[in-house]
Amino acid sequence: MPLTNYVRIWLASVRYTMVRTLMFRGDFLIWSLVEVSWTAVNLGMIFVIYQHTASIAGWNEYQMVLLIGTAMLIQRLLMGFFWSSLFELGRNVRTGNFDFFLAQPGHPLFMASTRKLDPDGLLNAMVALGVVAYAAHHLGLHPTWVDLVVYAGLVLGGLVIHYSILVLSMSLAFWMGNAQGIEGGYFTLADFGRLPREAFKGVGRLLFVWVLPVVVVSNVPARTLLNGLEPKWMVWVAVAASGWFALAVWVFGRGLRRYASASS
Amino acid sequence: MVALAAKYTQAFLLGLQSNIVYRWNFAVRSVFSFFHLAVAFVLWRAAYAQTATIGGFAFGATLTYFVTLIVLQFFIGAFNEDYQISDEIRNGLINQFLLKPINYFLYRLSIFTAARLVSGALVLVPLVLALPLLRSYLVWPHELWRWQLGVPAMAMGALIQFTIAYCFGLITFWLLDIQGFVILSLAVESILGGQMFPLDLLPPAIFRAAQFLPFYYQMYFPAAILTGRIDHALALSGLAVQAGWCLVLLAAGQILWRRGLRRHTAVGG
Repeated sequence: MPLTNYVRIWLASVRYTMVRTLMFRGDFLIWSLVEVSWTAVNLGMIFVIYQHTASIAGWNEYQMVLLIGTAMLIQRLLMGFFWSSLFELGRNVRTGNFDFFLAQPGHPLFMASTRKLDPDGLLNAMVALGVVAYAAHHLGLHPTWVDLVVYAGLVLGGLVIHYSILVLSMSLAFWMGNAQGIEGGYFTLADFGRLPREAFKGVGRLLFVWVLPVVVVSNVPARTLLNGLEPKWMVWVAVAASGWFALAVWVFGRGLRRYASASS
Repeated sequence: MVALAAKYTQAFLLGLQSNIVYRWNFAVRSVFSFFHLAVAFVLWRAAYAQTATIGGFAFGATLTYFVTLIVLQFFIGAFNEDYQISDEIRNGLINQFLLKPINYFLYRLSIFTAARLVSGALVLVPLVLALPLLRSYLVWPHELWRWQLGVPAMAMGALIQFTIAYCFGLITFWLLDIQGFVILSLAVESILGGQMFPLDLLPPAIFRAAQFLPFYYQMYFPAAILTGRIDHALALSGLAVQAGWCLVLLAAGQILWRRGLRRHTAVGG
């Protein structure tokens, strides 16, 4: 199917989401409040810890706020664009409703990932961006436009990695009878993205910096704003994003084969 | 009395069977929890690099607190009970309890107890596997009174957690979707329940205020007693406040149930 058709399908999903959000404005307000609360929880934790210590792995308070803001920006973009749709994947596979996605035009992964958007998640991506800007202002940072473009590109790379990890987690539904709680795997790994790379040592460094790039996802863009361009890490984010996306598509495809064979 | 106990024992056994079916979900969740512990380990080890104590406690004591919290979560925490109750109300399955001589709260409490036995047993598996890595860091106080007060604190913490979940589930009599409220409550509980950091690290005035809220007594209070973060006097006074919150939340649950039934319509069946 041509790319323009995928764009048209996505725009239809956006229209559906906007209409639904306007119909249920109370839901939008509640969920926006929920998202802001989680941002406040994460920042609150940092402010409390820094009452008792001056540095975490060489990062001061506002550097950590910038790191957490970056991690939350990537996560909120994922929540806004893909979370609702992928969260339902487990239930749809279990109940057999996933058949409807197979009958639709377009790749099943695209259709299953983009059916619904979450405007509250996207709104809170703006809040996260505000947190990053606030921290940058406190640190007296003056990034160039090249730094900002690279930051945006690295955030996009991070989004691809987060998306891939979530697809891998939810694809377990094709093998497990009940995937309830599996999405916790994604949130567990996403937690690591709020930690400075320098805090990891030994096996932890190997695992969470190089094998599972969850730490790199937020650290590299944050460090780009703090210290300028780091080409080695930019290439690593691009390679990791490509590799993890390819793995997610492959695993999803294997799961789909299993689902198709079970329901026929 | 015997017949009453037999009734809810049967519900408990049903809950046990039902939760053993989903043992892999609990097992996977317990493994994920130890990844959360890894996050706490990395973060707090880095925080302690500049200082020997934080809030008067060394790194080992803080790590012991987080390990205890994870184990307690699976022994006394509420997992989806709110959504289950909400589903039963929305789908009309609650109607069967209106016609039978069974108290819905006690029925759900029996199932909750069974579920926590299963999840609590399963969390011990990754704990035992992780113990060789953690053993050198863990520090346990030796006072017997900590277990004498800690066990009732755990029991009342479980009752508070279940009753809050029960109340959220009953909100379905008024609202179609409770998910937003539940997750908002989770955000509040994660801060004021001591899941992000030990509450004794809060500024003193805020810590004092937190002691009057039910979230303090869900997980932090029993964990703090068992790991030595609060003294005997504070533990005793805390038990009294915790008991008070149990009564308040039980009353709230009863009010919501009676008011909700007035709105509820059962058709057919």
